[in-house]
Amino acid sequence: MIAFHGVKSARVCLLAAATSVLALGTAGAQDYSGVTVNIMTFTGPQIAEPLQRRAPDFEAATGADINVITVPFSDLYTRLLTDWATRTNSVDAAVFAPQWSVDFITPGFLVDLTDWVAADDALEVDDIAGFFREFSQQFSGRTYMLTLDGDFQMAYYRTDVLAQLGMDPPETWDDYLAIAEAAHGMDMNGDDQPDYGSCISKKRNAQAYWAIHSIAGAFLQSQGTSQGAFFDPETMAPLVNNAGFRAALEIYVATTEFGPPDEINLDVGDTRSLFTIGRCALTIDWGDIGTLAIDPENSNVVDLVGATMLPGSTEVLDRATGELVPCDDATCPYAINGVNRAPFAAFGGWSGGINAAVDERTQEAAYAFFSFMSRPEHSNEDVTIGITGFNPYRVSQFENLDRWLAAGMSEEAASSYLGAIGDSLSSPNMIIDLRIPQNQRYQQVVLDTALARLLAGEIDIDDAMAQIEAGWDELNDEIGRDDQLAAYRASLGL
Amino acid sequence: MTAAPADRDTVGPSVGRRARFEEWAERQASLVFILPATLVILGFSLFPLLVSAYLAVSRFRLGPGGFELSFVGFANFRKLLFGSEQFHFLGRLEALGPLSWAVLIGVAALLGWWLARAYRNPKTGVIGKVGRTITATVALGLTALTLTTTLAGGAFGSLMTTLFYVVVGCTLQFLIGLGLAILCAQPIVGRNVFRILFFIPVMVTPVGIAYAFRMLADMSRGPLAPIWSAFGLGELSWAADPWAARMVVVIGDSWQWVPFIFIVLLAALENQPREQLEAAQLDGASGWQTFRDVSWPAIAPTAATVMLIRIIEAFKIIDLPNVLTNGGPGIATESMTLHSFFAWRTQDLGGSAAVAYMLLFVSVVISVSFFHFVVRRARREHL
Amino acid sequence: MTTIDRRPTPVTSIAHHTMPQPGPIARLFEPRRIGKMSPMTAFVVYGGLLFWTVIVVFPLYWLLVTSVKLPIDVNEGPRYLPFIDFQPSAHAWRYVFIDIGGDTFRPYVNSLIIATVSTVLAMLVGSMAAYALVRIEYRPSLGSIVMFLACLAAAIVAVVAAGVPWWIAAVGLVAVFLLLLRAIGRRFQRRLGNADIQFWIISQRILPPVVVALPIYVMFQNLGLLNTRTAFIITYATINLPIVVWLMHDFFASIPIDLEESAQLDGASRYRIFFDIVLPLAKPGIAATGLLVLVLAWNEYLLALFLSGADVQTMPLLVAAQNATRGPQWWYMSVLIVIMIVPVVTIALFLQRLIARGLLVGSVKG
Repeated sequence: MIAFHGVKSARVCLLAAATSVLALGTAGAQDYSGVTVNIMTFTGPQIAEPLQRRAPDFEAATGADINVITVPFSDLYTRLLTDWATRTNSVDAAVFAPQWSVDFITPGFLVDLTDWVAADDALEVDDIAGFFREFSQQFSGRTYMLTLDGDFQMAYYRTDVLAQLGMDPPETWDDYLAIAEAAHGMDMNGDDQPDYGSCISKKRNAQAYWAIHSIAGAFLQSQGTSQGAFFDPETMAPLVNNAGFRAALEIYVATTEFGPPDEINLDVGDTRSLFTIGRCALTIDWGDIGTLAIDPENSNVVDLVGATMLPGSTEVLDRATGELVPCDDATCPYAINGVNRAPFAAFGGWSGGINAAVDERTQEAAYAFFSFMSRPEHSNEDVTIGITGFNPYRVSQFENLDRWLAAGMSEEAASSYLGAIGDSLSSPNMIIDLRIPQNQRYQQVVLDTALARLLAGEIDIDDAMAQIEAGWDELNDEIGRDDQLAAYRASLGL
Repeated sequence: MTAAPADRDTVGPSVGRRARFEEWAERQASLVFILPATLVILGFSLFPLLVSAYLAVSRFRLGPGGFELSFVGFANFRKLLFGSEQFHFLGRLEALGPLSWAVLIGVAALLGWWLARAYRNPKTGVIGKVGRTITATVALGLTALTLTTTLAGGAFGSLMTTLFYVVVGCTLQFLIGLGLAILCAQPIVGRNVFRILFFIPVMVTPVGIAYAFRMLADMSRGPLAPIWSAFGLGELSWAADPWAARMVVVIGDSWQWVPFIFIVLLAALENQPREQLEAAQLDGASGWQTFRDVSWPAIAPTAATVMLIRIIEAFKIIDLPNVLTNGGPGIATESMTLHSFFAWRTQDLGGSAAVAYMLLFVSVVISVSFFHFVVRRARREHL
Repeated sequence: MTTIDRRPTPVTSIAHHTMPQPGPIARLFEPRRIGKMSPMTAFVVYGGLLFWTVIVVFPLYWLLVTSVKLPIDVNEGPRYLPFIDFQPSAHAWRYVFIDIGGDTFRPYVNSLIIATVSTVLAMLVGSMAAYALVRIEYRPSLGSIVMFLACLAAAIVAVVAAGVPWWIAAVGLVAVFLLLLRAIGRRFQRRLGNADIQFWIISQRILPPVVVALPIYVMFQNLGLLNTRTAFIITYATINLPIVVWLMHDFFASIPIDLEESAQLDGASRYRIFFDIVLPLAKPGIAATGLLVLVLAWNEYLLALFLSGADVQTMPLLVAAQNATRGPQWWYMSVLIVIMIVPVVTIALFLQRLIARGLLVGSVKG
């Protein structure tokens, strides 16, 4: 067990262990004795922890040997790809980002799980939220990944700070900026030091570049998930050199004014700890903050945190002209209170994929383990524990408050957190992350570098937009525009 | 051979065979001693160099069941030098102003004079001429690059950042290392304690040093935070300023490598001829005079060599900028190794190999030039 | 056997030489005796040394202190003194040694084995080469070398591009080279000397690891050695060879040749001379060079990143991995760094006498 999580999580784990043994007893587990499954993921404790913790139960029930291998997060993609592309195949299965899956699916490295999922009753696949079931797990209509974690970004705010200011949670990005400006400089943790209006991770080569599409999404996509927010799905022209993306960049740069001085060098972990020790009024993050904030040992903001779906915009991009147009029934069919909201499934949630090059029994054992991890009686426990890094992705997880109350959330906090999750997950205008071959080069290299230079003052917004557009076009041409377009359309379910 | 084995030779045929083997082995000794090292190094340098060269002129793609490499000529290099990666590798280039032109022309004239002298000297061979021409060309190119990215208002790319680490870092380390060595060479109490203490940083893993310095340099939560806020700097961040961020990298690097230079120079100082030192002191020479006339000539060859080692290693810097800032703000702290590594991490193997090759080129030219024009000269003049 | 004592002769031999009487202020700047420092100098010297001691010790102290802090003690701003500023907690040590004990222990053992074995190998092979370069004259002809390299390149291209099994290529390489050598070997006039060979070996250190990393990965994959300690050992031994040759060369050069000559007259073979006479004489040099190589292998990160697979992780990777999505886990990281420093510093303390005997002295001198 993880030391600082203390007694409570130990209790939860005991509970979890007990239920899992029961579950296996009833499900009539298959026999995989003698099979060793090497599963690669990144060095935890997040993600790896629940895998390692539940592996013994699975091993006891099936006789399989589960071996969790961890590598640093930033190397996971390349290490996995190198292992499979050079046919070393020392890794049998992996828990990684569905966003990367296209680089594994097109060369045929991943097992097609469609039929297995269909035959798997214990998985309760219909309980998995629609976005993950139909977009995240699938490519071209076939299922290749099993979702273990629901990843999308939300906005978090300090309920006490907002009450003090007499302001409502942000609905638009303008609201967000107004709150950040008003709160910036207030003392929020009682140490007489001025604190910050907004903390957004902006570190280069980290996990910061997703934030820009969390902002830009509301301007760029209004017609539902399959409209896409990165390229024009007809021509593969990048959606970055237009009034919508400009507005997003302006907001992104503006938030820096109300942030910590070294925001440009903060990774998500740093902003999370800043927020949980009480130094920030607002932040954009994945679901993690909800569970981290209720850990009394490391949080000063227990029950002071509210969550909401990512703020939106009252104007959206008209793709024909490249200009912004006001929201109406035609331009923003999914608008809420006249505001177009577009929750961003950044990264896509850790999911399991299986190496197609290993023998069938190993594949089956790996699938059985992922299914074991994902079934409600296990995952519904895991998503309430901060250390797992797993966030809700099943309908039953945000409809039932009991587990969250048991985990230490107040009813108010739980309904705010789960409400934001529920709103996001049920939004038909969720943005699916970029999933075309070599998407890392589009985002982690071209987009991330341009954003970092913009924030560092090396270039201005015009240069940044021009540079991202040129870089993406160059990659399209280099890798093959038609292939990329086909992959992009497949990821949007077109 | 001497008598002993010959006597044994007569005892029996088996011993005879053994003696013959020993004799054979003895004849081959000169090869046995050197061949393993040569072959291993050859295998580990030639093969990777060829494969990397192949990667540098190809494009890597994942294909059905594996990967495919397609030949693209010098596209990867063109991209770095003239294309979309120019800002990243060379930097943001601006037109030179009058001052920059003046400096550039001055340097060009100096290099031209140096080259002309070498060409007129009958002792300079063909290789010497070619080598000097390469050195001069690269020096001129780097000068122009320095001017356009600093004086003219441009910004550093990974090439200039790497050179900054090498030049500033190595200079700083040399000065501090030498200073400490001189202090430690005085008749002091506890010299061995200092020697061991000062040597420890070399043994700390660079990744660890990088993380330690990230903690130390944190201006709001690090140990120096009270000092920063006392000066009203608590709300500033070194990580947001390119030059401050580069300096933090250099400071971390220096913390690790000063000891190496220190310990070697201290040894050299302790080893210098005592008689001259004492004679100088008896003549009433000042400390500075003694150092300049006696100590420095004695340690110069060692200093030149240890700096060569340091320069070679300094070109490979990656851990510190990677951990401290991930290459930010913008691309301000990105070294070439880091540049190449980032490209590799996104499976841009061709681009990665191209950067690596450029690094190889620059570091070979500079290291070899340093060896020929500084180390050899120092050894020749002072030995 | 007498070792060469390089300890500095104390300067105090003429210490009682009296100086002319200086004035009171000048006295601050004048040593009272030769070989002693003036009060001012002493102040500067000890001041400088103490200053640097603080610079060296403070980061290490901070690591140690951080390793007993709770996350909140780190995140809430600087806290300096355990028990006074904050209540120390062993949670990080417990986590590293007990909770994930196996995951710490395995890389630790890997690192120990890899660093020691590769150091021993590098020292052995490198010392032999260094010794040979000092005592034996080599005059390889430039033409044959170029010819050999051409054959080798052809063989590698055959393996990589045409898919010829590597052992066939190796045999073919040797055969073709020998044939060519017989045929045209005598025509080559230009020859290289020891200095050229030495410089060539040293120059290999210039190769940036990032150039060789991927090819090495491919190579070990083809040899089926990926994900084994062997791959690490071979790699580290090779990349550190140039350093060994470089440093040991100068050590050997400083050993007087007389002993070896008389041993040779007694009928000792070159191997015997090397192992029984030269190596013991070079003990301090071996200690110093060995320590440096050991440290380099123990701390290497970039190549480890490429080479390590499922089973073989080394400590630097484990340290780097503590930078998780939840932010750097400073407390775990500090524990790991501390337990990484301890063994090398211990070894350094043990070898201290040998190293301090001034053997880094001869090392870098020509």
